[in-house]
Amino acid sequence: MANIAAQRIKREFKEVIKSEEVAKCAIKLELIDDNYSELKGEIAGPPDTPYEGGNFVLEIKVPETYPFNPPKVKFLTKIWHPNISSVTGAICLDILKDQWAAAMTLRTVLLSLQALMAAAEPDDPQDAVVAKQYKENPEMFNSTARHWTNVYAGGPNKNPDFDQKIQRLTDMGVMSHDARVALSTYNWELERATEAIFT
Amino acid sequence: MDFVSTGGGSLVDNIFLLFNAYDWWVYYSKKEEKNLAKKEREEKMYDQAFEEILFSLDETPIYADSGGDQHNDGRDTNEFGADFETLQGLECLNMEQAKNLLNEHVDQLSSKLHISPSLAKLFLHLNEWNVSAIVTAYSKHTNAFLVDNRVKLAATAALGASAIPSAAACTDILPLSPSSSTSKSSTNASSPISCPVCTHPLPGDHFRSLTCGHSFCQYCWARHFEVQINQGITLDISCMASQCNILVPEALILTLLRPSLHEKYEAFAFRDFVSTHPSLRFCPGPNCSVVMRARESKPKRATCNACGTSFCFQCGIEYHAPTDCVVIKKWLTKCADDSETANYISAHTKDCPKCHICIEKNGGCNHMQCYHCKHEFCWMCLGDWKQHGSEYYECSRYKENPNIGRESAHAQAREALKKYLHYYERWENHAKSLKLESALVDKIKSRIHSKVMTSSGTWIDWQYLIEASTLLAKCRYTLQYTYPYAYYMQSSVSHYYTVISHIIPTGTWIDWQYLIEASTLLAKCRYTLQYTYPYAYYMQSSVSHYYTVISHIIQQYTYPYAYYMESSVSHSRKELFEYQQAQLEAEIENLSWKVERAETTDRGDLENQMDIAEKRRITLLKDFHLSSFSNPTKLDIPPQGGTTVPISTKDSSTASIQSEGEGVRSASMAPLSS
Repeated sequence: MANIAAQRIKREFKEVIKSEEVAKCAIKLELIDDNYSELKGEIAGPPDTPYEGGNFVLEIKVPETYPFNPPKVKFLTKIWHPNISSVTGAICLDILKDQWAAAMTLRTVLLSLQALMAAAEPDDPQDAVVAKQYKENPEMFNSTARHWTNVYAGGPNKNPDFDQKIQRLTDMGVMSHDARVALSTYNWELERATEAIFT
Repeated sequence: MDFVSTGGGSLVDNIFLLFNAYDWWVYYSKKEEKNLAKKEREEKMYDQAFEEILFSLDETPIYADSGGDQHNDGRDTNEFGADFETLQGLECLNMEQAKNLLNEHVDQLSSKLHISPSLAKLFLHLNEWNVSAIVTAYSKHTNAFLVDNRVKLAATAALGASAIPSAAACTDILPLSPSSSTSKSSTNASSPISCPVCTHPLPGDHFRSLTCGHSFCQYCWARHFEVQINQGITLDISCMASQCNILVPEALILTLLRPSLHEKYEAFAFRDFVSTHPSLRFCPGPNCSVVMRARESKPKRATCNACGTSFCFQCGIEYHAPTDCVVIKKWLTKCADDSETANYISAHTKDCPKCHICIEKNGGCNHMQCYHCKHEFCWMCLGDWKQHGSEYYECSRYKENPNIGRESAHAQAREALKKYLHYYERWENHAKSLKLESALVDKIKSRIHSKVMTSSGTWIDWQYLIEASTLLAKCRYTLQYTYPYAYYMQSSVSHYYTVISHIIPTGTWIDWQYLIEASTLLAKCRYTLQYTYPYAYYMQSSVSHYYTVISHIIQQYTYPYAYYMESSVSHSRKELFEYQQAQLEAEIENLSWKVERAETTDRGDLENQMDIAEKRRITLLKDFHLSSFSNPTKLDIPPQGGTTVPISTKDSSTASIQSEGEGVRSASMAPLSS
């Protein structure tokens, strides 16, 4: 079966390279090894979202039973999104689980992920903290997601206020990522974030 | 029950106790809807009876001359006891018999609808094996039925009857067509087509498609089936196209699947078939392959002939009367989730006296600071630490106000936990006792054995002791299961809804609608009653206290009634109020009782009770609520603050005697204050 998986990936790879999305730089696919079992994907943050301007790297692992089982995909770029774990990058998307169909391709997966970034589903969250903020404080969510895009995905929008708060914590010896996670979790309230880190 | 009193009085006593407890048990199991207080009382008596039996079983002096004729009654009643609890008409089938039974259904349906057995299996599986329902639905709305059962795409069905000319034709179309017509027409049969899954170019006759028309090569289909079956999926295997949920019928799977996997597929499919068949149930015993068949699925005890496992037929878990299937599941989940955590919380934590967050003491010092609100307090007395000062340690002081903050959410959670633990401990205790008592049976057996060996009576003579311990186990079992039942007994309307939904099968929803009305009314009355208490509270308060609260009442509630009451010093009126309040209380109790026993209460009786309760409520409202509006001029409300001395009404008693109709209506429209 591994033979089919490799054959499929080979063809899908060609397909993606030739596709118009690649021409528009919306998605990208790269081979990691020679036997087509691991790939690197890249998605551009969709326009009019906090992820705009960012470039998100994905790890794609192709199981031996592909395409009868879905590929294993996760985000390598840190992202602030209700359906994607801010810790591990694990994705909660139905087509990567029980709604997978053998006729789907890596291209459809990448495009679905792009659609997920544009329209989150907070009622079916992967990251409960992010989902809660998304629902209760959308403004705060947007600026946090934009900040993460800026820091981790090369997005253009800097947030001096956030950077300053992180600086305050890193001055105390906290790793900048830990500081960012704590501040993002506590809606950028420095006091509560500090408390959470030091207790 | 007659007893031949031969030797030792204690023996007769034992048997009496035995039957006593037994009667309790029968009574217990039969009456399903009970009120909590009564239940607890009974549980207590029941517990006592157990203790006594247990004690006497342990201590029974074995007399050489005790006759064997004493226990015939006992055996009779035991048999009677088994009757109403055990599911009747139960059959134990082996795998072969169960398969034959399922095949009978399949044959029946396939011959009736002229469809392939493979398709018939799919229909039966998706429709609880109800042949007549399938036939009706199929002949009425064939297309809709096929779409609902994921055999045809909604869009294809919409094309109309031309797609399926007749039921007979379905046989050919539905299971599978080798290669879809579209792929054939577009390409030459000889020239290869590329499969969308494996990308291999293959001749057209290697392709298969379902009714949805999605065409894939037969090797990919086979691999797809293999992957799905290895994941335990059999009847829910669907088309490989994205967003297509058309199911693959068994015939296609078995044609394309490699033979070594056929056995696995059939085993999994059989498991799925039994699980959807309403009158079949796998015996839950370990390594037991027996399939139990009952005429009807009821929450009664079913016992497997092969391995002796006893379970509730309806839900497949341990037999659990008087608690019902839904409740016991809830309870067991709760116990699994909560028991350890709950025990720990109750043993090791207290609530912060200020913010009521749950606090665990992690050091030896009694000077606590709440992590949440930074409040400093004493762990022992929960008092403010400031009062503990540095002079001396005085937290052996009596807690002045242990009920502080009782209404807060955390205090309520704590209360709920207490309630849960109360029941859980008793439940757990009985479970433990049951285990211990199974050892007792062995002990008794060995005792009997030694007695028989030393020629003091025959084995039959001592049989009654075994019976007693069996009965004890049975009674304790039922008693154990009364605790989850009691835990979930509530007095809210939602409870009545669940009660009603349980008895629904014996009538239509409309037939039982009056029960909902009754419970809604009950809630309404209770609500009013609840609000008579603040009323009464302020009524009884002293004049001096009254001055301090008056501004509050007037500003916030604009409810000057208590004010008026107090100032009028009309004791007769107060008495009238208390009397009416008590009346309402009593009638609500009656109604509540009757609603909870809705199954046994006569409908007329219940409606009568509803009427009485509502009348009491209206009377009370009329006399003490509406009348205050009808005499607005007599209620002098101080312009601001609470400084003015209230002016009393002249004759408050006349105000209470309000007539219905006009008077009331005008009263409600009258302005509140002058």
